[in-house]
Amino acid sequence: MLRFLVRRVFGAMVILLIISAVTFWLFYAVPRDPAMMSCGKNCTPENLEQIRKNLGIDESIIMQYWHWLAGIFTGRDYGGYGYCDAPCLGYSFANNEPVFGTIMNRMPLTLSLAFGSAAFFLVIGVGAGMLAALKQGKFLDKFASSVSLLGSSLQIYFVGYIAMFFLVSQLGIFSQPSYTPLTENPAAWVSGLLLPWLVLSIIFTANYTRMTRSQMVEQLSEDYVRTARAKGLSRANVFFRFAWRGAMGPIVTLFGIDLGTLIGGAIITESVFSLQGVGRLAVQAVDQSDLPMQLGVTVLAAGAIVFFNIVVDAVYALIDPRIRLA
Amino acid sequence: MSFSRRNFLIATGVVAASSSVLTACGGGGGGSASDTPKVTGSKTMEIPVGTKADSTGPAPEVKGAVKGGTIYSLEQFDMDHLDPAQIYVSTEAAITVPIMRGLTGYKIDDKGGVTLVGDAATDPGTAKDGGKTWVFTLKDGLKWEDGSDVTMDDVRHTFERLFASFITEGPRYVQQWLVGGDKYKGPYEGKHLDSIEIDGKTITFRLTEARGDFNYTLAMRGYSLVPEKHDTKEKYDKQPFSCGPYRIESRSVGKSMTYVRNEHWDPATDPIRNAYPDKFAFSYGFQPLAATDRYIADKGNDQYAVPIFNEVAAERVAQVLTDAELKKRVLTAVDTVTYYWPINTTRITDVKVRQAINCAWPHQQLQTIRGGASTTEIATTILSPVTPGYEKFDLYGTTKKPGGDPAKAKALLKEAGKLGQKLVIAYQQSDNSVKQAVAIKNALEEAGFTVVNKQVDKSTFYTQIGDTDNGFDLFAAGWSPDWPNGYSVFYPCWSGKNIGKGRSNYAQLDDTGVNKAIDAASAITDPEKANKAWGAIDRQIMELAAVVPDYHSIRNWMYGSKVGNVVYDAGNTCVALCKLYAKK
Repeated sequence: MLRFLVRRVFGAMVILLIISAVTFWLFYAVPRDPAMMSCGKNCTPENLEQIRKNLGIDESIIMQYWHWLAGIFTGRDYGGYGYCDAPCLGYSFANNEPVFGTIMNRMPLTLSLAFGSAAFFLVIGVGAGMLAALKQGKFLDKFASSVSLLGSSLQIYFVGYIAMFFLVSQLGIFSQPSYTPLTENPAAWVSGLLLPWLVLSIIFTANYTRMTRSQMVEQLSEDYVRTARAKGLSRANVFFRFAWRGAMGPIVTLFGIDLGTLIGGAIITESVFSLQGVGRLAVQAVDQSDLPMQLGVTVLAAGAIVFFNIVVDAVYALIDPRIRLA
Repeated sequence: MSFSRRNFLIATGVVAASSSVLTACGGGGGGSASDTPKVTGSKTMEIPVGTKADSTGPAPEVKGAVKGGTIYSLEQFDMDHLDPAQIYVSTEAAITVPIMRGLTGYKIDDKGGVTLVGDAATDPGTAKDGGKTWVFTLKDGLKWEDGSDVTMDDVRHTFERLFASFITEGPRYVQQWLVGGDKYKGPYEGKHLDSIEIDGKTITFRLTEARGDFNYTLAMRGYSLVPEKHDTKEKYDKQPFSCGPYRIESRSVGKSMTYVRNEHWDPATDPIRNAYPDKFAFSYGFQPLAATDRYIADKGNDQYAVPIFNEVAAERVAQVLTDAELKKRVLTAVDTVTYYWPINTTRITDVKVRQAINCAWPHQQLQTIRGGASTTEIATTILSPVTPGYEKFDLYGTTKKPGGDPAKAKALLKEAGKLGQKLVIAYQQSDNSVKQAVAIKNALEEAGFTVVNKQVDKSTFYTQIGDTDNGFDLFAAGWSPDWPNGYSVFYPCWSGKNIGKGRSNYAQLDDTGVNKAIDAASAITDPEKANKAWGAIDRQIMELAAVVPDYHSIRNWMYGSKVGNVVYDAGNTCVALCKLYAKK
């Protein structure tokens, strides 16, 4: 298992290196001068030169990338702008702050949003899917399938605004979406994020319900399930011990990708509910042409997806020993 | 004051010190959008110079106000700058009133009237040598947030650091006027500027030209005090040091900022700030529509919320202004800003072609796109009707034909022999700008122009149009006076001396007649005569058709039901933060 994990982590690092190199090149090769944006209205050529030097963009792209990469491990000095401690993902000239610190500042909200909604959509989605599979062809199955079809066709920017209008503004059932750190006030943490969790989970739940149902139906028709039944195992035992385990593979894969994506920033959800997480940070960075921040968020999002893929692989290996032996 | 990219995006005023204005707090009557103020006909509010008594604290009590509580704010963006020397945008100026003080400032009375008073200075200053020398005396009892005294060295340092290379965004008036300012590189190499002299508690400024309005200039946030010992240069922009009634408790860039009381502030020294709330909590990231919906809902802490620059969203203007209950919680103000489209006179050299653009301009269509007459009024002049010096005229028949007069424009083009004239129009990448660009293209093409629309990255838009060799014929801009006279409109934007990379004469107009008139008007010390001269210059520039005036702005801010005394700060064209209180 350890060898398996080491192999996966090493592969992930290579992938991240490639992603960061390509992203860096794409961002910095475009004809856009971050120094000019930082230099302001009363910019002089001397100031511009100094800013280029401070930001390290007076060097070749290869050297810039090398220094950026080295900064992750050793930190980096940005002249008059200050020192960026390791892990330094660059310096945002728009925010006048190191990129990593800004991302970490937004991360607790994004993690709260991701894990909170994941708990909802995983429990409700998988539960509903299993129930639908169990009651295949009956009303419950048809109801769950129809609701999930409806759910998967909805969009957060639609459901979110409707929910905000009716449930918050008109009826006052939910509080205004906001973020309070869990450690500061757990009740406020829940009440502020409950609506975003639910809205986000509506969209995701549908996918999980449909996926779980189809996987379970497929597993329930497998020979080994029939054999288990024939051997006299109880229905519940067959359902949860055999069929469920067999159906989990694709669901775990989907969950890993979804969670990684959410941690990379739930842009629309954060925008709809005016929450300041990593997703909004990415939007701001695009809006302000803040290339170092865009690069940082991109690398982080890629990192999250790669990380959760490793976790998925590990879970796979636990579920199915053939994987770790492969 | 020019626009930052952010200002343009939110299409709000941009002034540091504007001379307007009519304000109206919904006031209970209401119920019709049609009774919102109009720019034309609004009273021009002169800002008089106050006395030493006016400059003495504390600020007059607001009737019924109570101390304590927290005022919240839901804003779209964080501030680009908090170093005063870098501030040239009204929202940044407004949000820093509670933490910064300059030598002079604007005092708001209970009727909304504004007076120029001494803020950190004992009075609004004394002019000598016909305005070439100015003397200010620092008040006793001023302290920084760490309890140390505000010293004369701090005051001198404030002005000397304006010359440092990292100060790139703020106003440049004082730097241009101070004797020797053209060669001075700032205080960080150990040299002082000889034209700033300190003696005891007085500071004397020696200027290269007579500036009767120098004390107004110093009321701009760009000239607020900075402590020499705590000047962290570039880093100061992130967390400035306070000598006002509040200090920054926490700041997360792009996310939030909190002010708490500065216990070392003495109200007896401050004629401007009441400082009733214990705390201000600003949150960023709220689109105008989301913020407006929360103000309408008026729940929880939002009842104590007030906007700095998030005006009522265009989608909700009609709802808010026609509902009598909601309208009670709206502050409406007519702004001094004029949004216009400079025509690049180095490329479009024929005055008839420029006049044709003016004739063909689709004012009405653009007004509709922007949300209608409740938020904007079509402009025919460079000066706003509420700015002193405004003269009413309409050289291109906009009032009669607000949708444009393509026939007349075509005739002018024919006369010039330029039918089919190519026009390259630069506009920013935003939904609204795209819609406007299409309307303009259609209208101009109907008049016989060939239009090429070019989208420009909004973060570098002003840098690009500020380039003398920009390749554009027409582009959106706007200006509002930095203090209440025509000088701060016409000198920076229309004098040939201000053509150059990064300067504000975007039309690159270098007309001998206009230049002479601006110089002559600048030298007039009698305000009435000067105003007349500025009005004439407005007409002179419009005769040259160097610009298409587009619209004047009417601004609506909605606030929570438990915020008291929401008044307009004409000095910063925003809500006056230091006059608010949280109702019990």
